[in-house]
Amino acid sequence: MRRDVGAGRILIPTTIRRGDVIDVRALVEHPMATGLFRDPEGHPIPAYFINDVSVTYGDREVAHFAWTSGISRDPFVEFPLRADREAPLSFTWKDNKGGVFQQTVDIKFAA
Amino acid sequence: MAAFTRRAFLQWSGLTCLLFTTRRLFALAPLRSRGDVPWKVQQVLKQLFGDRPVQEGHVQLDVPTVAADGRVVPVMVESDLPMTANAYVKAIHVLVDNNPDIHIAEFRLTPEIGQAFLSTRIKMRMTSPVRAIIETSDGAVWGAAADVRVTVNGCG
Repeated sequence: MRRDVGAGRILIPTTIRRGDVIDVRALVEHPMATGLFRDPEGHPIPAYFINDVSVTYGDREVAHFAWTSGISRDPFVEFPLRADREAPLSFTWKDNKGGVFQQTVDIKFAA
Repeated sequence: MAAFTRRAFLQWSGLTCLLFTTRRLFALAPLRSRGDVPWKVQQVLKQLFGDRPVQEGHVQLDVPTVAADGRVVPVMVESDLPMTANAYVKAIHVLVDNNPDIHIAEFRLTPEIGQAFLSTRIKMRMTSPVRAIIETSDGAVWGAAADVRVTVNGCG
């Protein structure tokens, strides 16, 4: 039904200077089914949600989220990050059915 | 036994009225206090933090007072606690009292997140208090709560 389960997007500011605390926004397309809803024919929709998110900046994990199906569909999260080095920022979303989705952006400083 | 006088009657009725009104007041008191935590939530808190008390303050929770759609309720948690290498916010927990899953999310942070701030969107089954609880690296637990009215069930 869904077009792209697991399609992730990361949004960071276009110009970043060394030492800035930047705003990181990330969204991944996912139904986040609780397992409590039923489809129009009355069949229960099985639980299908992201329960583990890891954020790495360079070689270090800077944040780790443990989620339940209580997070909305197409989960979105926004948080700050101290940009003190030029390195890739990557998100890894894992769901309860073993799906692993990844997205990476490069943090580069403005000249 | 003393005769049934007007004075005795008035004294007794006055006392009884006083008794009933004070009982009513005591019964209302827990409803009015926002710090009252339901038992099921206390169990979750105990599991998460053990015997550490959840202190009030340092946490700013921004949620709508009325959420038209329980499927998407924006939640913003902010704290003035420092984010330095030796004192930082270790985790932000989001709890919804009346959801099937009370402890809906845990966000573990490191000092590289320059500021204790987090924004996301959650689901809510019905009108309920939302709690944001922050755990610092030295083990202190801070919390804030706010009531959100929900008109459309977002959990099933």
